[in-house]
Amino acid sequence: MKKINFLKVLLFSGLLFFISCSDDNEKQLPRGDYENGILVSGEGSGAGTGSVSFISNDLSNTESKIYNKVNGTDLGTFLQSLAFDDDKAYIIVDNQNTITVVDRFTFEKLDEINEGLENPRYMTVIGSKGYITNWGKGSFGDNIDDDFIAVVDLNTFKLITKIDVAVGPERITNNGDKIFVSHKGAYGTNNKISVIDADNNNVEKVIDVKFKPDEMDFTANGNLIVLSGGNESWTGNETVGSIATINTTTLEVSSEVVFPDGVHPELMVIEGNTICYSIGNDVYMMSVTGNTLPQAKVLTAVDGFLYGIELNNGKLYALDASFTDISKMNVFNLSTITKETTLDAPLGASKIYFN
Amino acid sequence: MKQVLFSIICFCAIYIEVYAQKDTITNNQLNEVVVQANKRLVRNSTALKVTTINDSIIVNNLESFTSLLRYNTSLYLREHGVGGTSSARFRGTSSSNTAVLWNGININSINNGQTGFNSLTVGLYDELNVRSGGGSIEFGSGAIGGTIHLNDILKFNEEKKFKNQLVGTFGSFATINSLYKLKYQSKTYAANFGISYNGSDNDYPFLNSEFRNANGAYDNYTINFSNAYKFSDALVLEFFTTYYLGDRLLSGELPNPTAANDKYQDINQRNLLSLQFKKNNLRLTTRLAYLFQKYKYFDDKELDAFNFGSSDRIFADVTIDYTFPSLQATLSSNTRFESVYGRTDQISERNRQEFSQSLIFNHNLKRSFSYDIKVRKDYNSDFDVPLSYAFGFKLKPISHFFLRANTSRNYRVPTYNDLFWPGQGNLDLVPETSLQGEVGIGYQSKKVNLDIAYFTINTEDNIVWMPGGDPNRPGVWTPVNIEETLNQGIEASFNFSHSFLDQFATNFSMNYTYVDATNKNTEKSLPFVPKHIANTNVSVSYKRLSIFYQNLFNGKIYTTESNHEDFVVDNFNVSNIGLRYNFIKTEKQNMSIGGKVNNLFNTDYVIIQNRPMPGINYNLNINYTF
Repeated sequence: MKKINFLKVLLFSGLLFFISCSDDNEKQLPRGDYENGILVSGEGSGAGTGSVSFISNDLSNTESKIYNKVNGTDLGTFLQSLAFDDDKAYIIVDNQNTITVVDRFTFEKLDEINEGLENPRYMTVIGSKGYITNWGKGSFGDNIDDDFIAVVDLNTFKLITKIDVAVGPERITNNGDKIFVSHKGAYGTNNKISVIDADNNNVEKVIDVKFKPDEMDFTANGNLIVLSGGNESWTGNETVGSIATINTTTLEVSSEVVFPDGVHPELMVIEGNTICYSIGNDVYMMSVTGNTLPQAKVLTAVDGFLYGIELNNGKLYALDASFTDISKMNVFNLSTITKETTLDAPLGASKIYFN
Repeated sequence: MKQVLFSIICFCAIYIEVYAQKDTITNNQLNEVVVQANKRLVRNSTALKVTTINDSIIVNNLESFTSLLRYNTSLYLREHGVGGTSSARFRGTSSSNTAVLWNGININSINNGQTGFNSLTVGLYDELNVRSGGGSIEFGSGAIGGTIHLNDILKFNEEKKFKNQLVGTFGSFATINSLYKLKYQSKTYAANFGISYNGSDNDYPFLNSEFRNANGAYDNYTINFSNAYKFSDALVLEFFTTYYLGDRLLSGELPNPTAANDKYQDINQRNLLSLQFKKNNLRLTTRLAYLFQKYKYFDDKELDAFNFGSSDRIFADVTIDYTFPSLQATLSSNTRFESVYGRTDQISERNRQEFSQSLIFNHNLKRSFSYDIKVRKDYNSDFDVPLSYAFGFKLKPISHFFLRANTSRNYRVPTYNDLFWPGQGNLDLVPETSLQGEVGIGYQSKKVNLDIAYFTINTEDNIVWMPGGDPNRPGVWTPVNIEETLNQGIEASFNFSHSFLDQFATNFSMNYTYVDATNKNTEKSLPFVPKHIANTNVSVSYKRLSIFYQNLFNGKIYTTESNHEDFVVDNFNVSNIGLRYNFIKTEKQNMSIGGKVNNLFNTDYVIIQNRPMPGINYNLNINYTF
């Protein structure tokens, strides 16, 4: 019985092979197993390595630990984030001071960047250069001011230079040659956005925002929206959170919506004209031009610990992270505000990328 | 949040199980060993298994406390690479459910509730006892899975006697373990002095990898001094002191171990004064102790910046033992007070005060039946501690065979980190409590020791750190009393020794533990608990030559709560072999030289994912007593 099935599969896949060959001229071949799907990264923890899962666009297939399956080794802890260029993915693992370079569609390891990094966090790609935020030395309670942006040549994967910046650089994004860095504060807290000119690697301006700026994204008309969480009460210096809009031409905060005392938003994502942010496990939405906060939440995204959100084609993807077990990802249809499905996600799941 | 958190052997493989009512066991094999188990411990362990590892085994296994326990007891040791952070677990319980006692005093850290097994040098202790099962009545917080006892033994002798001992071990990766011990005995005064140094580059190559164990070097120094003065047969004063200084780097993990540059330093200083008064059937013991411990964690060894934690503990207790000779019974009362001052770079100084009163009654009803009843009440300034109690009996229906059974309720108090960590601590925590039971059968003769026990441990209110543990602090990691676990299993040990043809002696010993540990909330097996652990020691000696073989089988573990196959540590099987020759063997002097091959089959294995253990490695050692 089993044998017959296997033969059928062979036959069928052989047919497919011929069909795709004959279609060669009109249609591009799949560039790898992990094209046209969702990549979910997990930080890992004491329970296991950081890893990346692949979920097909129709949410029907989930494949865990794809890097390990393709390359036979682990990525290590803690997998902070991924960055992409046209054909490569850069997997940043902070405790390992390593960025693993893989083919973004096959996940085969191509090389690694492990020179000049110290607690790397996030990366943005401009042409053939990668710009990576680094916390430098230090640990909880001793926030040493040696933080920098590593500039790496993405042809040789060697360090070109380091740009000295304020303490605690976190997210990094760019609009053309203008690079924006949010300084959340690493082992402490900070309240700055650095603007760097990629042409000369100079810090052009440092913009003050509310404390703990983290997620940033551009609006359709080129403004930068920054979410600041504010200092929590346990820091002994509680401050408010905000959503600030920065005009990327004048490099000034053009408008700001402030959260009430004691409320600390955590995650934010922008799609079209919608800002979607989270407080605890609840998700709120407002317009990019809005000047007041919404009164009511849209939905409660997870039961456990909301650690990552993304919006795509009218769907909200929300990560319910576990650090002692594999995590879950809830997918909501936003037009009906109903949960479509719940899928497995990696250990310590934190980021979602559409590949 | 980044939390901070070798190999060995048993040369002679003499491994002795000491059971209640048998204070002294003479091993007939290598005619040098007389084990004096801690009398009080043995008396209060009517129905519990106590394994004694004596100084001749300890001295031959100096590389690490972790490995000594791993190859000679039923414990499961989790070690973050050789020399790294190491914890011990009995019967599938958590690492904070193992209590470590120095001369009878619980030394688990106030900050994290554990003892780091690579922060202790055992080489200088005269005896190590390992007792499986609950013991909160005698040993307080954390004595749920079992207890490990480090003891200095002071003995008086009619004749003045000096004994010196020098031990040196030189191994692969520039590993040096050395110690000097001096023992003095006289009619009224006894003293032990010891000093030791251990150090290693510890940069062993990872098998099947281009990397070595980067940033793994360690050094540590220990000085022990203990002495006793006998004023009269009725009055004895004892004083024990020890100082430990450890400095180690914390090694990295794959795929890039060279990223590691952390450093950990710790200091332990312990002092104990004890006065014993004995008259007729009454014995009164008062103890006063001061213990200090401090650690510094450097995220980067090149920098001066560090995180720290330290504690000062003052301990006083009075024990009254009254023996009813006609009944063959003893009633003991222990009244104890303790005050702890603890602080870390994140937690300002806090004081915790504890007071407890316990009563223990032992009765040998007949030679064939004995039992004990124990009860203890604690008062703690931080929270309520439930009443602890225990009951056990031992039946010897026919010679050599025995049946033992016990039940007890024990606890583990929340740590300073659990309660006070800024923004995350939870002041509403209550102690973890366990209700446990054990039934064992065994056979004991001069040649054979066998003990097979079924155990069950139900622990409630287990403290677990989780995000959103407190509904008022969404997304914040906080500790909560949430988990209930049930551990059931079999713990078996077997020892056989035999001498034949005059000059030959053999010894075979084995420990096996099967644990089925379940999280009652999820009905899944607990992560990090191997279902099977087995170790075996075989030794043969002929005249002055002895040879031994040792093996450890450690079962597969799941590291996630759902027991997902993506996150496992595979089982492993590691063997060591050794040889020893006695060059000098006179009444006054004894000198032997030995060699060991660790990981004989060059097995590539890990205890923690992405932290490979060493492949085949060697050491040479010399042990000289004069």
